[in-house]
Amino acid sequence: MPSLRFEEVEHTADLALKVHGQSLEEIFANAAYGLFSLMADLENLSPSFNRQVHLGAPDRESLLVDWLNELLYLHEVEEEIYSRFEIENLSSTTLSATVWGAKMKASKLTVKAATFHDLEIRKTEDGYLATVVFDV
Amino acid sequence: MVDKKDLKRITDYLYEIPKEYREDMRVPARIYADEKLLEATLGDRSLEQLVNTATLPGIVGYALAMPDIHQGYGFTIGGVAATRYPSGVISPGGVGYDINCGVRLLISNLEVEEIKPHISTLISALYRNVPSGVGGKGGIKLSPSQMDQVLEKGAAWPVKQGYGTQEDLECIEERGAMAGAEARAVSSRAKERGKNQLGTLGSGNHFLEIEEVLEVYDEEVADVFGLFQGQLAVQIHSGSRGLGHQVCAEYVRSLQEAVKKYHIELPDRELVCAPLDSPEGRDYFAAMAGAANYAWANRQCLTYLTRRTFEEVLAGKVKNWELTTVYDVAHNIAKIEEYEVDGRRTKLCVHRKGATRAFGPGQPELPKSYRAVGQPVLVPGDMGTASYVLVGTEEAMKASFGSTCHGAGRVLSRKAAKKQIRGDKLKAELEAQGIQVRAGSMPGLAEEAPDAYKDIERVVDVVHRAGLACKVAKLRPLAVMKG
Repeated sequence: MPSLRFEEVEHTADLALKVHGQSLEEIFANAAYGLFSLMADLENLSPSFNRQVHLGAPDRESLLVDWLNELLYLHEVEEEIYSRFEIENLSSTTLSATVWGAKMKASKLTVKAATFHDLEIRKTEDGYLATVVFDV
Repeated sequence: MVDKKDLKRITDYLYEIPKEYREDMRVPARIYADEKLLEATLGDRSLEQLVNTATLPGIVGYALAMPDIHQGYGFTIGGVAATRYPSGVISPGGVGYDINCGVRLLISNLEVEEIKPHISTLISALYRNVPSGVGGKGGIKLSPSQMDQVLEKGAAWPVKQGYGTQEDLECIEERGAMAGAEARAVSSRAKERGKNQLGTLGSGNHFLEIEEVLEVYDEEVADVFGLFQGQLAVQIHSGSRGLGHQVCAEYVRSLQEAVKKYHIELPDRELVCAPLDSPEGRDYFAAMAGAANYAWANRQCLTYLTRRTFEEVLAGKVKNWELTTVYDVAHNIAKIEEYEVDGRRTKLCVHRKGATRAFGPGQPELPKSYRAVGQPVLVPGDMGTASYVLVGTEEAMKASFGSTCHGAGRVLSRKAAKKQIRGDKLKAELEAQGIQVRAGSMPGLAEEAPDAYKDIERVVDVVHRAGLACKVAKLRPLAVMKG
């Protein structure tokens, strides 16, 4: 039975995701997967290319927001949807990743940005839990 | 969590959370609401967010909330916060991600009866001609130098290209271009996002509606605004698209450092801010003004596309279809304005996040033709119900930093709305009511269902009775187009 990667959470004006992962790398990957699942049907997406992403931020939470906003920027400007995320290197201030995707528009929702509101990454019994609120 | 017992009733329409409620509040918080709206508000975290707003350095008077208040992130939506200029702070969260999300109202000299046989064709043609929806490219492609001109000249740029008139500019807040906008303060990424999106509607709660002036409440003011009962109108709700979102996200991110630098303690990271006279504060203001100008240019282009579509469909069939601009307002913005504080005229930075300027009679910023009566305030309701035109008041200048509500305000989360409401069923219901719908997304439609919103009638009633903005006319939709 596949483990739960993310859940959509009630939030009046926007959209919040609760992200699960056994490692921090998984959290970053699953947060991105969750975000793009809101925008398109990822199950049926066949990736046709990949892209490298390198980022630096003052702390882990900012890094998570930066990561998601970087992907949103690339999505909008390049008209791409990503379905696979491999976090190669992750520290509390830097990230290197490869993302796989296809050239297509979002079919479900436009997400404007990942916000700092209620932003949290914390350790749990069986790994990590993060919450991110998106402006839609 | 704020509780009913923490609220002090000032009038039937105004409640206060005293400064003593929490140690870090610099001013009290005030909420314009009736009892029923207040009950609904106590159900989410919006009042807690309002209290957080009251901690901003340099905040003056009260942290204010309008009756369409609902939970946002950082600042509540439906909020007004004025900070001292230039030593107080400016906060991107007090403006919002969709900088200058706002509304334009257009009217024609036509009665709706004359146009009824053409409404279906009109809305289909608008849906075809006006790019909308998720992603929403297909707008005017801007070169880098054109982009810089749009950021600094706002709606004047499309007018110069032939997409509008001087009369349009007269009837836009700030004449469609805020002073202080600097293209260099807007990042190349934001420009990259916005370069193909000028003249696109967007998605979410953005819409283009063909409407009828259903009822006129104030004949004198309606006359000044050019409104009459049975009149055909068009309303456009849109903002600064990806450019604005990028500006906000970038500055919320970069100001995380500024708060450390200026030793500002905040209860919520989304409240990040910087003093207006700091380089960071000045840069954000310049970028925000640029994004605001982009939004006004956008609504001007959307107006042009609407007029062209009307011509395409109606020329030769109907006379007098020409559309003129009544007014165009921003409801996510920060402005430098002057108000009386402790008996002295004081320059303030007024943040309006989901709130609309409502200047009263005599204000020099208003178009000459409206100056005697006050500013038109456009309050779009939820899909399928009414929208309102109100007029700004002297009371608003005194009590709410010249501000009032912006719309109905959500009650249901998007998730809950999608669960409870089915887009295709909703479309059928609206069509049964005589409202034509063209929408790009059924789940998107469900998220915007009327049941997901507070009652616009109540919201408008509160601001009217509180004297912040008075009812001039009610409009109802005949056809709506959404991304």
